[in-house]
Amino acid sequence: MIRITGGRVYDPANGINGEVRDLCMDGGSFVESVEGGRTIDATGMIVFPGGVDVHTHVAGGAINFARAMTPEDHRRTQAFIRTKTRRSGLGGMAPTTFATGYLYAGMGWTTVNEAAVPVLSARHTHEELADIPIVDKTTLTLMANNEIMLDQLENGEYERAKQVVAWYIWAAKSYGIKAVNPGGVAAWKWGKDAKQLTSPIEGYSKLTPGTIVTQLAQICEDLGLPHPIHLHCNNLGAPGNISTTIDTLKHLEGRRAHIAHCQYHAYGGDDWDTMCSETAQLADYFNAHPGITTDAGAVLFGDTVTITADGPWQHLLYKLTGRKWGNLDVENETSCGIVPYTYRPSNLVNAVQWASGLELLLLIQDPWQVFLSTDHPNGGCFWRYPEIIKLLMCADFRQECLKQLPDKIKGKIRLAEIDREYTLYEIATSMSAGPARALGMPKKGNLGIGSDADVVIYEEDEDVERMFGHPRYVLKGGEVVIEDGEIRETPEGREFLIKPACDPGIDDFMRPLFEECYTMSFENYPVELERIEHAEFADCLGSTRS
Amino acid sequence: MSLQVIDNATCTFCGCVCDDIQLHYDETRIHKANKACVLGTAWFLNHTVEHKYPDALIDGKKASLDDAIELAATLLHEADMPLVYGMSNTTCEAQKECAALADQLGGLLDSHTSL
Amino acid sequence: MGGKVSCTLGEVKQRADFIVYWGGNPAECHPRHFTKYTLMQKSKFLPRGRKDRTMVLVDIRETKSAKASDIFLQVRPGKDFELITILRALIKDQNVSDEAIADTGLTREVLDDLVQRMKSAKFGCMFFGMGLSMTRGKHMNSAALLTLAAEMNAFTKFVAMPMRGHGNVTGADVMMRWQTGYPFGITFNRGYPRYNPGEFSTVDVLVRGDCDAAFIIGADPGGTMPQPAIDHLKRIPTIVLDPHVTHTSKLARVHITTAPQGIAAPGTAYRMDEVPLPLKPPLKSPYPTDEYVVRRINEAIMAKPFWLPDGSQPQMLTAQV
Repeated sequence: MIRITGGRVYDPANGINGEVRDLCMDGGSFVESVEGGRTIDATGMIVFPGGVDVHTHVAGGAINFARAMTPEDHRRTQAFIRTKTRRSGLGGMAPTTFATGYLYAGMGWTTVNEAAVPVLSARHTHEELADIPIVDKTTLTLMANNEIMLDQLENGEYERAKQVVAWYIWAAKSYGIKAVNPGGVAAWKWGKDAKQLTSPIEGYSKLTPGTIVTQLAQICEDLGLPHPIHLHCNNLGAPGNISTTIDTLKHLEGRRAHIAHCQYHAYGGDDWDTMCSETAQLADYFNAHPGITTDAGAVLFGDTVTITADGPWQHLLYKLTGRKWGNLDVENETSCGIVPYTYRPSNLVNAVQWASGLELLLLIQDPWQVFLSTDHPNGGCFWRYPEIIKLLMCADFRQECLKQLPDKIKGKIRLAEIDREYTLYEIATSMSAGPARALGMPKKGNLGIGSDADVVIYEEDEDVERMFGHPRYVLKGGEVVIEDGEIRETPEGREFLIKPACDPGIDDFMRPLFEECYTMSFENYPVELERIEHAEFADCLGSTRS
Repeated sequence: MSLQVIDNATCTFCGCVCDDIQLHYDETRIHKANKACVLGTAWFLNHTVEHKYPDALIDGKKASLDDAIELAATLLHEADMPLVYGMSNTTCEAQKECAALADQLGGLLDSHTSL
Repeated sequence: MGGKVSCTLGEVKQRADFIVYWGGNPAECHPRHFTKYTLMQKSKFLPRGRKDRTMVLVDIRETKSAKASDIFLQVRPGKDFELITILRALIKDQNVSDEAIADTGLTREVLDDLVQRMKSAKFGCMFFGMGLSMTRGKHMNSAALLTLAAEMNAFTKFVAMPMRGHGNVTGADVMMRWQTGYPFGITFNRGYPRYNPGEFSTVDVLVRGDCDAAFIIGADPGGTMPQPAIDHLKRIPTIVLDPHVTHTSKLARVHITTAPQGIAAPGTAYRMDEVPLPLKPPLKSPYPTDEYVVRRINEAIMAKPFWLPDGSQPQMLTAQV
């Protein structure tokens, strides 16, 4: 039992904007009142719901590949020393699992969505997630290049495709669907890509990326997934890709959708020399379509390692940089690529990317639509979120930072003309309430009675980056996990998953197709439910769980 | 007595980790390993549940499991630079415990890969 | 140079029309590799199976695997790195001297043909074994071959994969990476993981006599390591967990018999391409599992005083946030 008194509370989901209120919690949830227990005096402090990361890469084959490729970074980065009760770990570009939990909780984030999981290695992902302490987790299954599913769409078998998707979600014990470069990764299996939404994909006669986008979005709707299609559009990172992105959004029109890391999809120009920000166009679209959400995928200058299921893009990045290149194609399902990368303010392309992420966060008017993310670790590491918050809240600081960009940036970005500053209420929306709502997690991202008692308490500080980087208290499930910069407790987190309704005959349909292209036994493929530590079921919309 | 059957069992002898093996077994041993290669068949058929070895040995003499565990903990705890090594022929679940052991001891952790 | 361009084995089964085994002998060491994953499988892209694939074996001697190959290239022992480097030059149409080629034991004609085949493949895959990674050049050989595979992607789809050997060594690699950031050769002696093969790798540690106790599980260094390493294991308290009383057990202070994984112990094992698979043990062993015993040892140590004083800070040279 804990009571937090005297704090200025920001709870956008309940319309509470800086009111001084008490919060009571018991048994992991907020309650009306408590008798006894600890009282935390938060007088003069700021109280937020715990942060929710809608799009990050923290566990599984891809980030673990990145860890293997960056030992030089581990050696120089922040170390978490072993204590009697707490495992050691390393921070940096690709933190170890234990450190991932410490770092997220350390800045007040209590729920994370691992956004890209192949089913074939989902068992591995869940093993890693179980080793990430403190935070709660969800996972999304990669689906837009799954050839068994694509074959159904190619043949016009929508209903079958829907059943296949439902089967895969349950096999992976995941929370929803991620679509990465629809069709493009399947083409990468032959060394190709898919750039045009309306051109047939390599190896298919009719199927186009556009069809995959609309049908998969519809499948997510029809299955009633709590989180809509989570889409990484075609043509990531390419100059002039804004037309692809807008075209994709038009394909989606009328359906719910979450567009991942929109910064990487908002460029004009014809080549690297002429590349410029087209964020205004993209922001206008979002402003006119309140039903879709996005996360920024903001870029911060410095070293990182890029990891994505977008294999062809990573091959290009390797050719551009000449740095290490990791690639892992996963049979029938997807690919993944790893390239270490340094974003430099002196590099015109990087400067455009840096500005574009911030522009989207500032030009999309409603913070319920655009969420804080760096597409960790792609645009920068998640533990650098406080830097972004400062850039959003302090227009003067942005102007200061703009001065380090090359002169040639003029005319390529809009950031200098934007004077909007985020309020605390808007930050709370973008880092917690908004992503929780987009993920369909009613007990996250708010401080209402009955919700999960995940709270972050900041000591007010003129230096916003310091304030958000060093919360005074973090509570997870009603337990104090961080206090005065020290890790107090490292409870195990929970994993949320769904079981979409599925035709029982689908097993018989899947088996022969599966055996044709996979190399493991059909029976051994689905992740056993008992392997998920602290599994918690979420309901699909409009359906009751079986 | 008729044999029991497990389908799609997993062979961990080599890096192929074939998971389509059909095992025919009774209470003491595996009699048949269908689909397994010559190496896998030997692997499955040569292990039985016979109590062939003592539960534990301390300095070469038979000892109880509890005594062996306690002595192991004491020897490792007393050491300044203990080494945890191997982990090829064991499960990931045991490997995780080994990493926890090296972490707790402040020791060395290494696998066959370094050979 | 660096990285790894790879795939899971199902991709090879489905697509690879050009397969190279380099310094490995799957016919005898991974007997089902050909039939289950690579050569013999038919797929929608390679409907005639073996007939639609070309297999090249590169090795220093003609092993049983040569019978399965279309082309056998006998490289001179210790010249793998040179041969790979020459191939990297030839695919880019760079000049290579006749002497350099002759030094590898092969001819220009053979290598030109190989390069032409590599480039005209739709999907090439190179598997490499201990004959490459454990001989002169060692990890440099592996790195060179991985680079060749990466560079081939300028012409066509190409991947490479190590033929990981024994049991679940891949699982150990994968797990250590997520828990410590590093795949092997780790020390926690500052309270957090650090990595330096050559310094913290076991043979080096033992030969130098650096460790003062050893916990050996799922391995038998007493039967496989150089004598000076074994001698040190004899000098220090050694603890062994194994389903058998091994060579190492015989020189150890403590041996504990455990249930063999996949036969009487449940859990997970990783395939050479890092695909995790569940174990389905049919038998009930009279012995406990490794997992149980190591957990008990961990608990017993947890009950003793902790070696680091409270409030210890990481000893970093530079503290980057």
